[in-house]
Amino acid sequence: MFNEVYKNSKVRKPYNQIIDWANSLPENVIVKKKNEAESLFKRIGITFSVYNNFDSTERLIPFDMFPRILSSSEWNTIEKGVIQRALAINAFLNDIYNTAEIVKAGIIPEDLVFKNPAYEVKMVGFKVPKNIYSPIIGSDIIRINDKSFKILEDNCRTPSGVSYMIENREIMMRMFPELFEKLKIETVENYPTYLLEVLKTLTPIKCENEPKIVILTPGSFNSAYYEHSFLADLMGVELVQGPDLYVDDNITYMKTTKGPEKVDIIYRRIDDNFIDPISFDSTSLIGVPGLFDSYKSGNLNICSAPGAGVADDKAIYTYMPEIIKFYLGEEAILDNVKTWRCFKTDEKKYVLNNLQKLVVKEVHGSGGYGLLIGSKSSKKEIEVFKKKIETNPSNFIAQPILELSSVPIFSKKELSPRHVDLRPFCLVGAKKTKLVSGGLTRVALKKGSLVVNSSQGGGVKDTWVINE
Amino acid sequence: MLSRTAENLFWSARYIERADSLARLLEVGYRISLIPNTKSGYINEWESILETSGIKETYLQQNNKIKKEKIISFLLFDANNPSSIKNCIKNARENIRMVRTAVTLEVWNAINSTFHDLESNIRSTKNILKELPEIIEWVKKQVNLIRGTILNTQLINDGYDFLILGTYFERADFTARIINVKYFILLPSVNYVGSEVDNFQWSMMLRSISSFRAFKWAYGEEQINYIKIIDFLILNMTCPRSLIFSVEKINHHLERLGNFYKQKTKAKSQVKLMYKDLKKLNANKISDIGLHEFLRSFIKDINLIYSNLEKKYFFGTEE
Repeated sequence: MFNEVYKNSKVRKPYNQIIDWANSLPENVIVKKKNEAESLFKRIGITFSVYNNFDSTERLIPFDMFPRILSSSEWNTIEKGVIQRALAINAFLNDIYNTAEIVKAGIIPEDLVFKNPAYEVKMVGFKVPKNIYSPIIGSDIIRINDKSFKILEDNCRTPSGVSYMIENREIMMRMFPELFEKLKIETVENYPTYLLEVLKTLTPIKCENEPKIVILTPGSFNSAYYEHSFLADLMGVELVQGPDLYVDDNITYMKTTKGPEKVDIIYRRIDDNFIDPISFDSTSLIGVPGLFDSYKSGNLNICSAPGAGVADDKAIYTYMPEIIKFYLGEEAILDNVKTWRCFKTDEKKYVLNNLQKLVVKEVHGSGGYGLLIGSKSSKKEIEVFKKKIETNPSNFIAQPILELSSVPIFSKKELSPRHVDLRPFCLVGAKKTKLVSGGLTRVALKKGSLVVNSSQGGGVKDTWVINE
Repeated sequence: MLSRTAENLFWSARYIERADSLARLLEVGYRISLIPNTKSGYINEWESILETSGIKETYLQQNNKIKKEKIISFLLFDANNPSSIKNCIKNARENIRMVRTAVTLEVWNAINSTFHDLESNIRSTKNILKELPEIIEWVKKQVNLIRGTILNTQLINDGYDFLILGTYFERADFTARIINVKYFILLPSVNYVGSEVDNFQWSMMLRSISSFRAFKWAYGEEQINYIKIIDFLILNMTCPRSLIFSVEKINHHLERLGNFYKQKTKAKSQVKLMYKDLKKLNANKISDIGLHEFLRSFIKDINLIYSNLEKKYFFGTEE
């Protein structure tokens, strides 16, 4: 396991000053600041609700005050790698919905693409504005050692967490201004401005004036609702729900107090299935009838494009190095984690024989649900999973049990290391691809735990890129 | 502005005003229970409190007796009472949460922390009767805080108009209902005029809209009588709880919206007419028409204006 702070019992350079600061904080100050942070989060309303939880209890995501720090040279590698990946993902999506060269070239098996549940037949042959299918990509990155970062998975539909990245910083700045005076910490507050700039470039064909942009949310009961309203606020755009919109003659309007107003670009935070009850799931109450036709007639852009989810499927993920090579002619800057695909007979055999050493994941699962960590599971649980894999091998992949790097948290009495990952948010526009210098660090608060998801007891940290 | 945003702002403010009104009603109930000689009037008083807040039926479905403690907790905290103070605050907050971007951080903080603090107040309440005055004070204070943040930090734009409209539609409706429930005590009656009973009932009514002292200031040391009270509660422009005051506010803000959007609306022309008529009225005339009749048609008119406002701005269905 890589300890980001100590190497051979010496403090690594990026953490030099912060360790002294953390050790100098008296216990009562730590307790006081912890409470202060919590009440700030609560007052601002930075809460999330757990799915299927319909009462009014909203939970706070636990925040730890010890920052996660990256040097600017470490960040450079991450930035380049993430941008490379984002470009390749968009090229891949553009290809598979058009001529599918990558399948013809025999690089990716046909079934993995065309039989993928996220593959949207209705998108075939449609020209997506500026060929950008997925303008916002959040890739989860883990650190293996001093040199190496690896990508654990990509999220290219509607990745969430960016509001925490910004609010964590706000709260740290409010509580410890002295640190920000002393250290050269890159800002992350430009994210909403960048996002707006990027979305503005993604105009549909039939939009000649300044585009009207809105964010589409499922509503205030959604777990990420805070983030939706936060972004709308900082971008200065309307936050709409399905019933606020309607489509007339393939043009999308929102209902305003002045009367109907045309909408050109929707940054949607609703899944594909629910955006339009006519074209997709007919039971959807949060969607807008006719939205997809409005999109296909060139009057509207929907970001991300329906069907973009193929690219963040865990089986497709295993081909990312090949995908990058195929479209960009480059080697991947950030490696994948070694992955066994159970649909391949020999790889499945290896997985079944080595389950105690592996993490097995469902191909389409997310949020830390439906996975098996071999070393932490009982014989019985392993047997159950074995059967699942044998019945439906193509539904599973396996990866070695990773030693996520660790960063300390302020635990009861002292600093204590916990495992972390990192999610930067890459923005892909018609002209530029960029990201702010930082991301969301998620931390497993339970000692020894490797699961960082907020739905499973994970917390967050402020992430600093320090200019050397 | 999105129609839904306008609707959420309107209802948020409306629920806050309702929470305030309920707190003031409870205050009256509490006072009555401190006055020894009202044994017979006492049950009636709690009953009319239930009636005024429009929840007598709901209460009687869930409780078979008119009982002080039950009513207090029903009005304050009961989750099954759609108009309990708790639910009003919760609804106000839920409405604002849906349009967080339309209010300033300070307005949001005020509403959000009121919601959270009320939850913890409820948890820590042990003796509801003893703690009632404190809780009422707290609710009124929070409402004043919320209103202060609205006045001091919101942009004075269309969103502000919808917030203010929500407040005054609720207040007009509530004041009209209070008078209506007790209209009989404002009828000229040979036997009781100027009697102890009258004075007591009238002062309770004034207190329930927080206007007891204001009345004294407005009418001086003159003998209290029902005509003056009618004048005060319905036609006095200086009384912030009078019907004409609310109607003037509604008129003003609908006019602002009309100018802002450069549109004519039915609601606007109706309220303008209503205001004009009210200005021409006097208390004796109302007494001649019949107070009950007057209030019935007032409530009907206000509801009609609301439904036209709703059609125009919230649903976009006005022809």
